[in-house]
Amino acid sequence: MIRNFTSRWFVAILAAFVVVATACGGSTPGTTSKGTLTVAGFNFPESSILANIYGQALAHDGYTINYKLLLGPRPIVAAAIKAGSIDMYPGYAASELEYYNNSAGEATSDPTATTAKLNTHLQPLGLVALTPAAAVDANAFAVPQAIATQYNLTKLSDITPAIASRLVFGAGPECPTYKFCLPGLAAVYGLHFKAVKTLDTDGPLTRAAFKNGSIQIGLVFTTDADLKGLGLVVLDDDKHMTAADNVVPIIRQAAATPEVTSVLNSIDGKLTTADLISMVDQVANQHLDAAAVATTWLQQHNYSS
Amino acid sequence: MAFIGSVWRWFSDPAHWSGADGIPQRLVEHVQLSAESVAIGALIALPIGVVLGHFGRFGNLAINISNVGRALPSFGILVLAFQVFGLGDFPIVFSLTALAIPPMLTNSYVALREVDPDVKDAARGMGYRQLTQVLRVELPLAVPLVMAGVRTSAVQVVATATLAALISGGGFGRYIIDGLAQQDFTKLFAGALLVALLAMATELSLAGLERLLVPRGIRLLRAPVLAPATTTKAA
Repeated sequence: MIRNFTSRWFVAILAAFVVVATACGGSTPGTTSKGTLTVAGFNFPESSILANIYGQALAHDGYTINYKLLLGPRPIVAAAIKAGSIDMYPGYAASELEYYNNSAGEATSDPTATTAKLNTHLQPLGLVALTPAAAVDANAFAVPQAIATQYNLTKLSDITPAIASRLVFGAGPECPTYKFCLPGLAAVYGLHFKAVKTLDTDGPLTRAAFKNGSIQIGLVFTTDADLKGLGLVVLDDDKHMTAADNVVPIIRQAAATPEVTSVLNSIDGKLTTADLISMVDQVANQHLDAAAVATTWLQQHNYSS
Repeated sequence: MAFIGSVWRWFSDPAHWSGADGIPQRLVEHVQLSAESVAIGALIALPIGVVLGHFGRFGNLAINISNVGRALPSFGILVLAFQVFGLGDFPIVFSLTALAIPPMLTNSYVALREVDPDVKDAARGMGYRQLTQVLRVELPLAVPLVMAGVRTSAVQVVATATLAALISGGGFGRYIIDGLAQQDFTKLFAGALLVALLAMATELSLAGLERLLVPRGIRLLRAPVLAPATTTKAA
């Protein structure tokens, strides 16, 4: 009797599963996949959010998406897309240009011109940069409030060589060879710091180093919502060392079909810097899931049903 | 072949032999982190191992507890220690010490445990007290095994200290992490080579130290007997 009872429940639950599964399958548009795309991201939260926004929008359109999030810094991600092991990643126009042209200094503050120039370098590699979004995330340099007050700093040109020689600088391991980091600070502002501490790119190590005073100036992202809360002051880049770092999808030409391109361009048409700041805040400070934050944004912009 | 050439050029570039990111400075950092960790580990592990081995008690318990340290991945401890203690050398030395303890504890326990009971009886018969017996009879006999533990620990720690660079520490790991981030594979390879060389140098120099520490009598005892055949024949 008992056995009979259990097996009947088992069948009922199984039946319920089948019903739910069929219902879910039915509600997903396009049950046959239009193809598989691998979307990668850099090793910081904002990139995971952007990769999820692009990926989920394409998934909504009927593509099967594999994610390679937090893949690494630009050299790693660029090597992966050149080798064809990923199909696309969310890039930043000026930073991509200066990476692919080996720091030739071609980037300007005009995102369209910068992207056009970028495409001349991507073309022979079988890659293409799509339309840049209005959203910008530039690298910036911040100092603790106490240092800003002590040396009276509001912009990067306020740092004299004498002041720089008393400050310890902190940034990620790629900074010493990356154009918009130490080489740029030396070339544009003539800054040579007392010491350079290798940390991460605006991650937990950088925050810890600011907190315990082992660095006095460090690289941060302009889209960080919590800089004020950490007592950090972003110094104005008054000589325009950093150029148009608008968000722009970098994609393999083979994967950039008209349909994929139109989905990605319509995302870029809606993405703003304010959106980025709010989403990065939710992931980095409120510890929400990057995928969930991306889904919310897409729902607000009428992507997912 | 071109790659070997570029590694050679990397090493022969004088810029890589001076300054905060130069090989001498990174060597000092690497050796300092490793030496501190092994020394602290030895201060913890050796007394415990020697005492427990001498009395022959709680050995399994101590070894099992210290083996937990062996099972925990150093990278995991490093990240946890960074969360708890913040940035600096402390979390690095903390996680490397956890790695250094198990081989030294196990070996010193076994070394003392394995001292011939007849020798211990003789020492006691001659009027040695506990402490003198440990220091003058048991420890000299145990040195080869204890030192083997120290050597294992030190080589593991030197190899693992590479991880320090992941939380902004110094040492040769810097070249590996930075080389990867900058896609400078020559630098990455040079870093790996330097770590391997340092680990080998550690092994060799500690083997030398062991030879100095083993008392002459025991060395003779362990030396191969040259002509045992004659005595057998005479008998």
